[in-house]
Amino acid sequence: MGYKNVFKLIKCSDLIDGTGKRPIKDGAILLDGSKIKSIGKESEVVPPEGAKVELYDYSNYTIMPGMIDCHTHNNGFGDGRLGEELNLLADEILTLQSVRNLRASLFSGVTTIRENGPKNFTLINLKKASDDKLLLTPRMLICGRPLSIIGGHMGYFGSEVTGIDEVKAETRNLIKLGADYIKISATGGSTQTSFPYRHSFNMDELIAITEEAQKFGKLTATHCVSSQGIVNSIQADVDMIIHCMFKEPDGSNKYRPEVVDDLFQKGIYINPTLHVVRSTIWRLLHKKEEIGLTDHEETLLDSRQRDFEIHLKNCTKMIDNGLKLITGSDSSWSSYQSGNTVYETECLNIAGLSNMDSLLSVTKEAAKSLGVYDIVGTLESGKEADLLVLNKNPLDDINNLWDVKDVFLGGMLVNRGSEKSLKSIRQRRPSLN
Amino acid sequence: MQNTNGFKLIKGERIIDAKGGEVLERGAILLDGEQIIAIGREEDVIPPEGAKVEEIVYENKTVLPGLVDCHVHLNGIGDGRKGDQLNLLPDEVLTLQSAKNARTHLFSGVTTVRDCGAKNSTTLRLREAIEMGITVGPKLVLAGRPMAIIGGHLWWFGIQATGPNECRAHVRQLVKEGVDFIKITASGGSTGTSIPLRPSFNLEEMSAIVDEAHKFGKHTAAHCTNSQSMINALDAGIDTIIHGVYNEPDGDRSYRADITERIVEKGVFLNPTIHQSRERIWQLEEKSQNENLTLEEIDELNITKQNHEERIEEVSKMWDAGVKIVCGSDSAWANYKMGRFQADINSHISIGMSPMEAILSATSLSAQSCCVDDQVGTLEVGKNADILVVEGDPSKNIDDLWNIVDIYQNGELIDRGNYI
Repeated sequence: MGYKNVFKLIKCSDLIDGTGKRPIKDGAILLDGSKIKSIGKESEVVPPEGAKVELYDYSNYTIMPGMIDCHTHNNGFGDGRLGEELNLLADEILTLQSVRNLRASLFSGVTTIRENGPKNFTLINLKKASDDKLLLTPRMLICGRPLSIIGGHMGYFGSEVTGIDEVKAETRNLIKLGADYIKISATGGSTQTSFPYRHSFNMDELIAITEEAQKFGKLTATHCVSSQGIVNSIQADVDMIIHCMFKEPDGSNKYRPEVVDDLFQKGIYINPTLHVVRSTIWRLLHKKEEIGLTDHEETLLDSRQRDFEIHLKNCTKMIDNGLKLITGSDSSWSSYQSGNTVYETECLNIAGLSNMDSLLSVTKEAAKSLGVYDIVGTLESGKEADLLVLNKNPLDDINNLWDVKDVFLGGMLVNRGSEKSLKSIRQRRPSLN
Repeated sequence: MQNTNGFKLIKGERIIDAKGGEVLERGAILLDGEQIIAIGREEDVIPPEGAKVEEIVYENKTVLPGLVDCHVHLNGIGDGRKGDQLNLLPDEVLTLQSAKNARTHLFSGVTTVRDCGAKNSTTLRLREAIEMGITVGPKLVLAGRPMAIIGGHLWWFGIQATGPNECRAHVRQLVKEGVDFIKITASGGSTGTSIPLRPSFNLEEMSAIVDEAHKFGKHTAAHCTNSQSMINALDAGIDTIIHGVYNEPDGDRSYRADITERIVEKGVFLNPTIHQSRERIWQLEEKSQNENLTLEEIDELNITKQNHEERIEEVSKMWDAGVKIVCGSDSAWANYKMGRFQADINSHISIGMSPMEAILSATSLSAQSCCVDDQVGTLEVGKNADILVVEGDPSKNIDDLWNIVDIYQNGELIDRGNYI
């Protein structure tokens, strides 16, 4: 027979294909190059006659689609430093840090990331190097740089724009540079010159951006840490709301059921980034345990704990309202380090997603929200073979997602390196809580 | 005792301290943190009483200094692409490639490298990132951007200088940015617009560069692919000659004993980069095992082979004349990927070195040529604990250097499975 390729036949105990169906017992996947050729019960997955087959026997393991993290900041360190400080580092340094973060993600089982805010050309050029096979990274969807108003959130990364013409021009420029989608800071944020409780772009600017992006078939996502940004984003037809915090201009919390209804009606995806809030709490708790906190830090801890509780409750309400909540870690922003995406999935689980829905939030639904569902997100014939081999089934306990045995990216077994180096990625839970 | 990291006692079947003497049988090295505090016969190396000591015993293995590659191009990809193409890549990509090369070389046993020319600030940034703990790599001795004339070899890395004043200004700028030495392309090379058979800088420019560098205590190394450029470099007071090929302007290859004599007299180091062309020969020969070579490849193979033989002959004469020959791979330039420094060390056997002499050329002598011999290159008290452990005995069989067991950098065992 004239089969040039060597097929890979992967057998496992529990096969979670990521479509939402119950796992297949004693499943098998046949890979042809980077793609899945067939999948099903072991007895049904038969390589073509005469073909060369390499067998991977994971008879005691669970297999699921590779994880998709819809929100990363690969430039970041996750050590609590502010974006303003991060931004002072040279582009080359940020690029090297980015590849470190990308590997941490990949080795932890994340096979696709969407980058939400890097500086200058760092991720654009890094993606080129990855495309040229100079280095191994997860699949990358990049924004180039986030669009911001002057002084707005992450404006320091290089794309501060004003007015309809400028926002359109920068959208076109980013697309020319290779942006896969457009990220917009629709409210202020942790950037000190920005106003977190106020919207940033005016309505006409926001609409101009989304129209321009849509013209070229690009998705959009807005950073919104207060309600007016969410309302504007809905009106501008944005595809994903990030953070989705319901805060009023005076900083007070006010859940807005009518806004949530609109989000539901329009099918807008939500990336609530719960753990990035919790990561600060954890950093402070670690510090409390080790050396104690200053008064200022105690106050910060209290306020973050309140924020987290409120946001968690809001997420539960949004889930109850039928919104699609997607896992997007926001690492390595704030105190959240890459390679720990599962903490965010765990938060969604705590907020009320079932184990299956939690898993889909980091696979199938994430792929849909990023417009890459035709390529990844589920294990189906014709899709890219991005898959995880786990020691235990995450449908029993979502934290089993931590227990990665092997990762395949595009049909290739990833060399994840030593146990010691893998352990060094993992952030610890605080013992106080 | 002022000890934070704890003591390590490393025992080996054989220790090569690379000071030029005999192999030490059943030796031991005592480390205090990142420093060697004692070395000698096993029974003579005794940790301080009551100290906490981690003892590591390497039965049937040889312990020697981490290798020092005095000539690398961290920016390079080593896939045969020309520098004229390589330099078009964005700085971010070249920095990523440099990080990859640095890691590969370190994991292959090279604990110190001298980078002989990179684009813009890429290697300086890499060093910053290593210091920040973002990535791993050997100790870096850096030139930053090489000094070139307009259109000269490696000009696209960022410097094209004309006249003594401009040359001095560039040296000062490089020193300000933190370079450790000055690389000069004293002749043309593989750069398309350069003329390899002719010198590049005039003598007054060369002298200005070397004087300015020496003023700040920085050493100099010159790329020379013809005889006149070597004469200029020697006249200017150069510290290392790289390549050192006896070509005349008309392409004639005629050995110049007079120049060799001057190199010996002045104590200038020679980094002959012998293996670079042999790597290509090996690749083409390997390819010919499995498939037919193209006509161009057959030509390339024949020419490269002939050049390589002439080269061996030339460098053998220089070795016999007493030139201080140091090992520097020139990887990942041209077709020579990083992580294969041992192949260049092996090539020194073909010019008449004994295995021990080849080892010295890649450790102590190489460290001297990079002006880091106060820290690395030998295993002696006070030096950094950059230590290589290999299977077998490379003082008998040089290729035992490939059989890496463990690598210590500043006293710490390197995790060679760390790809993060």
